[in-house]
Amino acid sequence: MNRTLEHILPRVQKPARYTGGEYNAVVKDRRGVDVRYALCFPDTYEIGMSNLGMRILYGVMNEMEGVWCERVFAPWLDMEEEMRREGIPLYGLESGDAIADFDFIGFSLGYELAYTNVLNLLDLAGLPLRSEERYGLSPLVVAGGTCAYNPEPLAPFVDLFVLGEGEEVSQEVIHLYRKAREECWSKEEFLSAAADIPGIYVPSLYQASWREDGTLAAMTPLEGAPAVVTKRIVQDFDHSYFPVRTIVPSTEIVHDRVMLELFRGCIRGCRFCQAGYAYRPVRSRDPEILLRQGIESCRDSGYQEMTLSSLSTSDYRPLERLCDGLLEWCEPNKVSLSLPSLRADNFSLGLMERVQHVRKSGLTFAPEAGTQRLRDAINKNVTEEGLLRSCRTAFSGGWSSVKLYFMLGLPTETDEDVLGIADLAEKVYQAWKETTPNPKRGVTITVSTAWFVPKPHTAFQWEGQISMEEYLRRVKLLREHMKGRSIKYNWHDSQTSFLEAVFARGDRRVAQVIEQAWRQGAKFDAWSEGFDFDRWMAAFQTCGVDPAFYANRTRDKDEVFPWDVTSVGVSRQFLWRERERAYEAVITPDCRAGCSGCGANQLCPGGKCDA
Amino acid sequence: MHRVAFSKADTAKFISHLDLMRTFQRSFLRAGISIKHTEGFNPHAFVSIPLPLSVGFSSACEVLECQVLNLPLEEVPARLNAALPAGITVHRCYEGVRPVKELCYVNYIVTMEYEAGAPFGAESAIRDLLARECLVMEKHSKKAKSGKVEVDLIPLIHRATVEERRDTIALDLILRAQNPGLNPELVVEAIRTHCPDAAPDFVSFHRRAVLDENLQNWE
Ligand code: SF4
Ligand code: SF4
Repeated sequence: MNRTLEHILPRVQKPARYTGGEYNAVVKDRRGVDVRYALCFPDTYEIGMSNLGMRILYGVMNEMEGVWCERVFAPWLDMEEEMRREGIPLYGLESGDAIADFDFIGFSLGYELAYTNVLNLLDLAGLPLRSEERYGLSPLVVAGGTCAYNPEPLAPFVDLFVLGEGEEVSQEVIHLYRKAREECWSKEEFLSAAADIPGIYVPSLYQASWREDGTLAAMTPLEGAPAVVTKRIVQDFDHSYFPVRTIVPSTEIVHDRVMLELFRGCIRGCRFCQAGYAYRPVRSRDPEILLRQGIESCRDSGYQEMTLSSLSTSDYRPLERLCDGLLEWCEPNKVSLSLPSLRADNFSLGLMERVQHVRKSGLTFAPEAGTQRLRDAINKNVTEEGLLRSCRTAFSGGWSSVKLYFMLGLPTETDEDVLGIADLAEKVYQAWKETTPNPKRGVTITVSTAWFVPKPHTAFQWEGQISMEEYLRRVKLLREHMKGRSIKYNWHDSQTSFLEAVFARGDRRVAQVIEQAWRQGAKFDAWSEGFDFDRWMAAFQTCGVDPAFYANRTRDKDEVFPWDVTSVGVSRQFLWRERERAYEAVITPDCRAGCSGCGANQLCPGGKCDA
Repeated sequence: MHRVAFSKADTAKFISHLDLMRTFQRSFLRAGISIKHTEGFNPHAFVSIPLPLSVGFSSACEVLECQVLNLPLEEVPARLNAALPAGITVHRCYEGVRPVKELCYVNYIVTMEYEAGAPFGAESAIRDLLARECLVMEKHSKKAKSGKVEVDLIPLIHRATVEERRDTIALDLILRAQNPGLNPELVVEAIRTHCPDAAPDFVSFHRRAVLDENLQNWE
């Protein structure tokens, strides 16, 4: 270990995050590799190591001959201070080498509030922030993940974006890079060739122009770059890479367990949900394969906990069969199995009873809206009856705590819908009173509301976020109607949701605000230790950018969006139709009940979705 | 009761005591070694480390107690070493006979580094300090109301050798292990307090041996 590092580690919190050396961390011989890749997660080690996508890409790239992929996380504030003081540049955890000398620096972008951390990591690495100021072919700054579906707020900083699932396309980019290096291409030559790879968006090859009213006029592709870049998907999910042998951190992380991925995509089509649209179409993995992967992963890692991680786990067709198979192995081996996201309407207590090791702790439901009308408008297929039925079964089985998640500020929401949340909570309480076998123990019903953030590539991408005053008024209204000691009400902080709304649909002008805020010290915006709203407002002002223009404005049907250069496979016409249906409170059946023609089937061989 | 003797170095120095226990529990599973579990609602593999090591210390003489159920003990080290993270090496697994209470002393090597070379007179100042009749320091205590207690270090230091090299001063300390034990960090703190000129820029701590009453290796 580096001596300076050894000197500072005793002074920082949780130093084990910064050492590497974990079981299954990949260490290669420097002399045997010709491509060094820094896979960066712009948040803490504990969060980044819990991300299955990171583990998959890490495994895929390290399986490549001659490629050494290492991990980088955002050092916590105390560590950053020490690193800057001692002049330690950002390093890969596996080798301890400075990543500025690597060939690739790849960021996984999961949430918008990590954007300042991306800039901060580049700076800690000792690199210029802007793509145009990094002249050489390497290091190339790459970014992917859910946020890449609107790449524009980071466009000036990133050399190329990978849209969609990165397993295959990352390898193609590395192959092209090798060729470029061999033939001594310039960075520009490389980027221009990379733009021909499906799924690669090279921001410097697009020129943004604006109208007088501030909306985008066009994103003009240069040098033959494609007008629209369509995301990549892994078609054969059965045979795609799964990290059976994966790093086991020596210190506790957020999701410290084996994560099995049953399928990608979601059949549901909730109209607010970016993941639901962006990961289409559904591709499932065979239960036999999952069973094998689950058992092997536990054996290899020594984890005694396994979770099934997919968007809407209970929609996995052979779920029962899979759980039976897993439990048969888990029980004698003292491994506990958990199902994180069961739906309220087909929740099966029997299954829950059997899988949840720590039984009767907490049940979680996300009805998202308080009235049936609004739930229909957002296409959330949860009925009051279904929810109460599930609660009754659970309560009579002895459960005594329920968490209910809602959003405030959804399109078409009225005060009646807001109060519907309080009503529903009250009905859940009544259901408990009627069914619980042990009334003395009491019940805790936790109601949480988040402020709705309209996201790109959803049916609500045209919507304005309600104003902060209005959001707070609705919170207050709800709070005043939330009665009873058994019902606890939490609401999400409004300031970060506002910023999220700006970034989610921001364009290149927002990039300078992010840079400005970072220069004024912004980082770790998703953490209260880092977030400073006033700093952000000052940055908007300095840059002459009005955040409300991005967050609160309702867009015209045909407005050019910054993310129109990217496609998730779902057509804009379909999304508009979904928006109109939302205003009529008409539901759209899920993909299994019938195809609604969103267009994502074009991504599948033969144009057929396996919902 | 079986004991696993291991060392902890390099990156593994920064694994905390609790994390280390969890790491061993998982490593036993990875290595296919079954060990005895605790009883109760949430049974887990029983492991215990009698003398926890501070985060950041290296050690050549750690001991973990457990009960191996399915293997000859000689096979344990190789299997475990293949399953442990970098920096932890198991040397031996054996039937523990001597009770933990016979573990009386710990031998530490404390290396104090000086960027500009060891200051003139530091070595003798430290030697004098440790030769005092009594040396009272405040230390944190969870039990005391004020959060602090006073301890006299001298009776807890069995032997101290001070040796100056070019830009380091090495302390070879034999300290009481338990009831009460002395953490060598407190010795360095005493040096910082009483011999400010000898205050080091950086200190590293290494646990070299655990000893019984007669200063023989305890195992
Ligand atoms: S069920 Fe709805 S909210 Fe959940 S992932 Fe699917 S579309 Fe999104
Ligand atoms: S094409 Fe049809 S089945 Fe496939 S994802 Fe779209 S709506 Fe669903």
